[in-house]
Amino acid sequence: MEKEGNETCCAPKTADDPTGRKWTWEEDGFTVVRANARTAPGCHDNCGVLMYVKDGKIDHVEGDPEDPYNQGRLCLRCLTLPDMMYHEDRQLYPMKRAKEERGNPDAWERITWDEAFDLIETKIKALQAEYGKECVDIAAGTGRDVIIYETLLQRVLGTPNQGMGFFPGQACYIPRSFSTNLKSGALYEGDYSQFFPDRYDNPKWKRPDYVLIWGNNPVVANSDGTLGHWIVECMKRGTKLITIDPKLTWVAAHSEYWLQVRPGTDAALALAFGHVIVEEDLYDHEFVDNWTYGFNEYKEAVKEWTPERAAEIADVDVDLVYAAARAIGNAEGWALQWGVAMDQTSEGFYTGMAAYDLVGITGMFDHPGGMVAGIAPFNIGFPWIPSKEEVDWIPQDPAMRPPVSKPELRGLNAMGMPDAESVVEGMEGDAGSNDYTIKCVWFFATNPLANEGAQPKRTYEAIIEGTEFNVVMDTWMTPTALACADVFLPVATYAERSGISGHQPYRTGAIVKAVEPAGEARSDQSILVELGKRFCGEEIFPFDGPEDLYDYMMKRSGACFTYEDMKKRSWAYPEVDYFRYKTGGLRPDGEQGFLTPTGLYEFYSVALEAMECPAIASYVEPPASPVSTPELFEEYPLILTTGARNWGYFHSEGRQIPHLRRVQPEPICRIHPDDAKKYGIEDGEWMIIENYRGSCKQRAEVTPRIKKGVVSCDHGWWFPERDQHDGTYFGTFECNPNNMLSYKPGSVGLGNSYKSDLCRVCKA
Amino acid sequence: MRDALLINYEYCTGCHTCEVACQKYHDLEPDQFGIKLSQIGPDQIGQRRWQYEFVPIPTDRCDRCVSRTAKGKLPMCVQHCQAGCIQLGSVVEMASKIVSDKYVLFS
Repeated sequence: MEKEGNETCCAPKTADDPTGRKWTWEEDGFTVVRANARTAPGCHDNCGVLMYVKDGKIDHVEGDPEDPYNQGRLCLRCLTLPDMMYHEDRQLYPMKRAKEERGNPDAWERITWDEAFDLIETKIKALQAEYGKECVDIAAGTGRDVIIYETLLQRVLGTPNQGMGFFPGQACYIPRSFSTNLKSGALYEGDYSQFFPDRYDNPKWKRPDYVLIWGNNPVVANSDGTLGHWIVECMKRGTKLITIDPKLTWVAAHSEYWLQVRPGTDAALALAFGHVIVEEDLYDHEFVDNWTYGFNEYKEAVKEWTPERAAEIADVDVDLVYAAARAIGNAEGWALQWGVAMDQTSEGFYTGMAAYDLVGITGMFDHPGGMVAGIAPFNIGFPWIPSKEEVDWIPQDPAMRPPVSKPELRGLNAMGMPDAESVVEGMEGDAGSNDYTIKCVWFFATNPLANEGAQPKRTYEAIIEGTEFNVVMDTWMTPTALACADVFLPVATYAERSGISGHQPYRTGAIVKAVEPAGEARSDQSILVELGKRFCGEEIFPFDGPEDLYDYMMKRSGACFTYEDMKKRSWAYPEVDYFRYKTGGLRPDGEQGFLTPTGLYEFYSVALEAMECPAIASYVEPPASPVSTPELFEEYPLILTTGARNWGYFHSEGRQIPHLRRVQPEPICRIHPDDAKKYGIEDGEWMIIENYRGSCKQRAEVTPRIKKGVVSCDHGWWFPERDQHDGTYFGTFECNPNNMLSYKPGSVGLGNSYKSDLCRVCKA
Repeated sequence: MRDALLINYEYCTGCHTCEVACQKYHDLEPDQFGIKLSQIGPDQIGQRRWQYEFVPIPTDRCDRCVSRTAKGKLPMCVQHCQAGCIQLGSVVEMASKIVSDKYVLFS
C-alpha cells in the first residue's frame, strides 16, 4: 500500500468557529495545553481540559471554560490526574515473566520495548500456527477512546475473538444498542443540547419536558458520552424527572415520579407504559402512521400488559405506572436516559427494545428535547464505532472462523462477538458445542478478575491452566496483571499521547500530548502501529506513528481533517438538524426514513425475524427470582443487584489515589434497615453476601435508600495497598460480588443477570 | 467583608468535586477541607417525597481563591462544580441572586 499524503483538503463546515482558539499558551510560568480528556485513566466522556505543564510534568489540570462540552467543569478523576500519573505504583517499564511464575511479583524482568515486541511476535505467531488464529482472545475494557482500537488489534492479530473481558452477554450497552439499532438504524441519545456548540442557548433546542432515567445514575456514571450533570442543567431550565431504580439516588429523590422497581422487571414496566399510551390514545399518530412498521403487532403485544399486572410484577404502586406513562405520553419532548441496568436484566436485548418502543410511539426520534440520532461527526467513526471503510484496509482472512460461541446464541452470533463462557471453555479444553482452543489472552485496558468478568475464580483457573501466553496493557499492576500476565506493557495516560476523541456523535476533537510519557510508557496507539508492522507488514502499516495512522483513517472516513487541524482547533462540531428521517439525513442513499429493512422505525423487527429471534419486545422473569425459583428464594431470600457506580472511581480504577479513596475507602453493600434488623447486621459492619455460586465480603451500609428485600453490592474492588506476596491478588476475590453471578447470557446471547440474582447475608 | 459564597443546594448532587478541586489547588491532604459536603437525609417526609440533599460548607481554610480571582479566574470550587450551583461575589450581589428556595449564603 502506498502511503498517501496528508495535506489538508477543503475544510469541512463546522457549527463552531475556531477563529482565535489557541491550543497552547504560556501562563504564570506554565505552558498550558488545551485538549480533550480521554483514557487513561478510564472515562466515557471527553471533557475539555487545560493541562498546566512545568519542567516536563503535568502540574495540575483544570476544566476548560471555553469548551462547550463541560463548560469549565471537571470531576475528581481529571482533577487528580497528576496523582495518578506520578504515583509510585504506576507501571513504567515493559516486563516479562516465565509462564510458571504467574502470580509471583518477584519474577518480573524488565525488558526493552523491542524485546517485548519480539517476544509477542514470536509467541503469538507460533501459537496461531499451531492452534489457529482464533486461539487468541482479545479481552477489552471500556475506557474510551483506547478500547475502540481493539477493532484494529483484532484485525492485526487476525482472530475473531474480541469482546469485553469475560463479560457474559457483552452486557454493557451492546445488547440494547444492537437490538434498537436493528429497529431504528442508528443509536439515539437524549437531547441535552450537547449537539450544539452554543448549548442551552441554541434557538433550535428545547429542553425535554421529562427525562425518563431508567436503570442509570447519570450524575455519577457519566456513561457512554453523556455527562450526567447536563441533565441537572436541563432541570434548572424546567425539565422534570421520572426515575426507575431500586435505589433512591439523587436523581430519584429529585424526580416527580420515582418507581422503586424490583430489579430485573423493567421490561414489564416498559410494556405497561406502552399499554397506557396506546389505550389512552396518547401516541403520536402522525409519526406512527407514516414512519413506523409493526404498530399493530406492538399494540397486540402491550394489550395484556395492564399497569395493574406490571405493577404487581415490578412491585411498584400502580398509580405511578399510570402517572409516569401519561407524563411521557403528554410531553412535548422527553428523553430516555437509559443505563446499563437495561443490559443487565437477563433479557437485556429485549428490555432495551421495550423501553425504546416508547420513544417510537411518542415520535421522539430526532426531536428537540427528545432523542437525537448519533451519527459519526464528519463521518469519523473510528474513535467510537469504526465504519467498514475505516478498518478494511487491514485484510482479514476470508476463511477466518466465527467467534467462539454456541449456535443458539443467535443475536450474539449475528453481532460477531464471542460468548464469554465459550472462551473460558476454550481454555478449559472442554468446549462443549465448540472445538476452539484458546491459548492466549490479550488484556486490553481491562481487569476482569476484579471487575466485569463472571465467576472470577473459575476464569482465573482457566487462564492459569489453559493459556500459554498472556499480554496485559495497563497503567497499574492490577489483580489480573499480577495473576495472569506473561508480558506487561505500560501504557500512557491521555496527557502523554495524541488521539482523536470522538466516541460520541456530538463532536470530535483532539487528545494532545502535553508531556513525554512517564518512564517508558507508550500509547496504546503507538503499540498498535508497531504490532501492525510486525503482524501485517510495512505495506499495510507504513505509518511513522499514531498521528500518521489517524490521518490515514480520517482520510478513509472522507473527513477533511488531519490530526494537526484537530489539535489546533481542539474541537469541531458538525451541523446537526432535527427530523432527519424527513430530510434524508439518516440514510446513505439520501432517501427519507430510517436505515432499516423497511425504511421505517420497526416495532416489529424484520431483521430479528430473519435471525429467527423473537421480533418484538417482551418480558421474561429473571432466571433466579422470587417468582421463577420460589424454592431457591426460600434459601436465598434477598435479591442481589451489583455494580452501582460510585463517585471518583471508574470501575476497578482509582483506589490508589488518596483523594479519591477518601470519598469511599471500602466496598459497600447497601441493605434496607428492616432487612439488616432481620439478619442482625449493623451499619458499618463487614457482611458476608453469598449464594449458590459463591460469596463475597463487603461493608454494610444500612440505608432506607435501597429497596426492602434487595441488597446492592459494589463492583470492581481490590486493595492495591496490600502486599503482592500475600497470595490474594490484592484481595479481589474476597470482595468481588461476581463470585455469585452467572456466565449464562440471555436467550439470544446478549444481556445477563448481573443486576438481578438471589443471595442471603450474615455478619462477617 | 470578604466575598460570599452562594450555594443553590437544590441542584447540588453531592459529587465531591468542590472538595477535591479545592484540596488539589491548595495542596490539602484528603482529610483537610476548604469546603466540605454535608448531607441531609435520606428522609422520607411524605408518601412520595424524600429529602436527600447535599450542601457544601466552606471552612476557615477557604481563602475564596484570591490568587485566582485576582487573575480573573473563578475559584476552583465555583468553576468545577459539576452542577454549577456555587457562585462567589459580594454579599449584596449574591443576596440579590436568591430568587427561590434552597439558596444558602456563606459570608
